[in-house]
Amino acid sequence: MNNADNGYDNDGINGIEYIDDVAYDLLEEELRRAAAILDPVPAQLRQIAVEAFALHDLDARLAELTFDSVVDAIPVRGATDVPRMLTFHAGGVTVDVELTAQGLMGQVLPPQTAGIEVLSGPQAGSPLTTDDMGRFTYDEPPAGPFALRLRTGEGVLVTDWVTA
Amino acid sequence: MDRADVGALVQSAVDGDAAAWKALVEGLSPLVWSVVRSHRLSDADAHEVYQTVWFRFAQHLGRIREPEKAGSWLASTARHECLKVLKSLRRLTPTDDPQLLDRVSDDRTPEQSFLDLEEAAAETERIRHLWQEFEELGDRCRQLLRVLMASPPPSYQEVSAALGIAVGSIGPLRQRCLRRLRARLEARGAV
Repeated sequence: MNNADNGYDNDGINGIEYIDDVAYDLLEEELRRAAAILDPVPAQLRQIAVEAFALHDLDARLAELTFDSVVDAIPVRGATDVPRMLTFHAGGVTVDVELTAQGLMGQVLPPQTAGIEVLSGPQAGSPLTTDDMGRFTYDEPPAGPFALRLRTGEGVLVTDWVTA
Repeated sequence: MDRADVGALVQSAVDGDAAAWKALVEGLSPLVWSVVRSHRLSDADAHEVYQTVWFRFAQHLGRIREPEKAGSWLASTARHECLKVLKSLRRLTPTDDPQLLDRVSDDRTPEQSFLDLEEAAAETERIRHLWQEFEELGDRCRQLLRVLMASPPPSYQEVSAALGIAVGSIGPLRQRCLRRLRARLEARGAV
């Protein structure tokens, strides 16, 4: 049996490299214990995830992220500090958002007045209203993940969550 | 957490059962965290991605096509968010490497509390050595093992979703990486 070099090394001849399946499992189990001690899920994060259940909302329509300049745009050579552009879609409504160090700027299309909440978690967000053209600004850069909840003529929309 | 229960828990959570949601968080948080950690983000980014993943999951709950594969959905979402963060940071130098060896968690297991101080110190020392050798493995092995060491152990479907590698290659890669780790420990005389 010549399988010493196929990635399995289970012929036992290569003394120093040979370990059996049980030993692999034990080593993995030991790593699992080490991770639980040295790098566990932080308790406060676990709690945030538990509370996130409040975001489960069957009535709101989801506006999906369809464009994100981080992945969908070609970087401009030498340009630093370019705003991040995001586009969300739900049915006939589009929401364009520009994320900068100063905060958020955006527009709801087709142009319309809409109530907007900037969400940073399961709790209620800061309320904004668009102008007649559907434009809005928010002068605080998100400090963590954010989403927008919009009250439009077509009902409530919530955008996908974005890691700021 | 029995993976077979995941589908049923997702269904109950869709129907408004907060306890089912909590069970999902308890059972699958370590997987999400492991995927995030395997991508070596800064602590701040890791915390943010973890939250994004769970916020998205809550929002998409009723829209997930295969509820029994929620673990893979979470792993894959975590991977994509990590890659996005890494991409947006690419022109910056790597940020703070988490000083894991310096912050042993205070959450001691019941077993540990019973060990006398000396034994506990020896155990801590051994775990630190193990972790140090793990951290010094090549990127691919470090990443794979960090995902595999989630608790409960992830399925190979979930590992595949977490790392974008074929299910069939996980077993052989796992063996190779554990073998390397073992060799490092032996070289150190720590086995």
